[in-house]
Amino acid sequence: MLKTKWLIILLLLTFGLLSAQNWKTFGKELTLKDTTLISTILANPYAFIGKRVLVEGTVVDVCKKRGCWMELASDKEFQSIRVKVNDGEIVFPLEARGKLALIEGIVEKLEISKEELIKAMKHHAEEQGEPFDSTKITEGKTIYRLKGLVAKIQLD
Amino acid sequence: MKNLKWRKWNNILHRDLGYLAVGLTIIYSISGIAVNHVEDWNPNYKIRHIPVKTTFFDEAPVQVLVSKVLTKINIAEKPESYFRPSPQELHLFFKNKTLKLNIARGTGEWEIVEKRPILYEFNYLHLNHAKKWWTYFADLYALILLFLAISGLFVLKGKNGLAGRGKWLTAIGIILPVIFLSV
Repeated sequence: MLKTKWLIILLLLTFGLLSAQNWKTFGKELTLKDTTLISTILANPYAFIGKRVLVEGTVVDVCKKRGCWMELASDKEFQSIRVKVNDGEIVFPLEARGKLALIEGIVEKLEISKEELIKAMKHHAEEQGEPFDSTKITEGKTIYRLKGLVAKIQLD
Repeated sequence: MKNLKWRKWNNILHRDLGYLAVGLTIIYSISGIAVNHVEDWNPNYKIRHIPVKTTFFDEAPVQVLVSKVLTKINIAEKPESYFRPSPQELHLFFKNKTLKLNIARGTGEWEIVEKRPILYEFNYLHLNHAKKWWTYFADLYALILLFLAISGLFVLKGKNGLAGRGKWLTAIGIILPVIFLSV
């Protein structure tokens, strides 16, 4: 009887713990409390380069191969920002797509030449299993992204 | 007598730590083969694409657009969220699947993602996705493997031991990776 009672308590505790796992943290803990709008960063990126920011958004894409980047939807329509992490340090699960995320990271600027862009887009297309047409890329570009340090994602 | 005692303990530890290491070695080996070929396949997920063809949709506020798409394509499930990468595109996120639609053309695809059962968990452990205390546990396992490798050299004596065939096989095992590194 006592054994059954303890078993029930243990099961309830385990279930409680599992149910509480709504937000999952990748990396260490968040240090910032206030979020910055992604649209604000992208509208005036020079004000944020090198700065540590906390952003919130829906995860709209994740690297399928190594989970080494995710794309976060901006508060502004048709806009998103790439969050890149070092391979293996943080691995974003594909299940994160469509979920709400809080990301803390450092804003970076990348100047990419046309050749580098073709190489990067080709690699991206191969990773994502998508077709790629290099003739569509006619010049390099400047990209602003977050070097991700911590992520909290609202998984199931 | 001293040698005998030393070898006895070497073999006992080799045996018992060997038993302890069986589970993780199987996990790490299978995962190792899987992730070794990451250029050829996705070791964690099976991803399927199913083309979709429907009518084009006129520009509308996104909530209206989503509702029209769900009705037109006969989707009963409510999306968890949605995103428009551009004015021509609409992505609807459901549990384990995404509908990517070009609303101007009425074409797109379902992208269905399934975790590879067992292999996903094996990779999770092997690649240390868990982090935190698993890191230390994996370090301990690595130390056990190191011990097994070294103690294994001294398990047997005579022609089947290190002094006999053992030295040749051990040398081959060391030279092969050196050759790969040199080439």
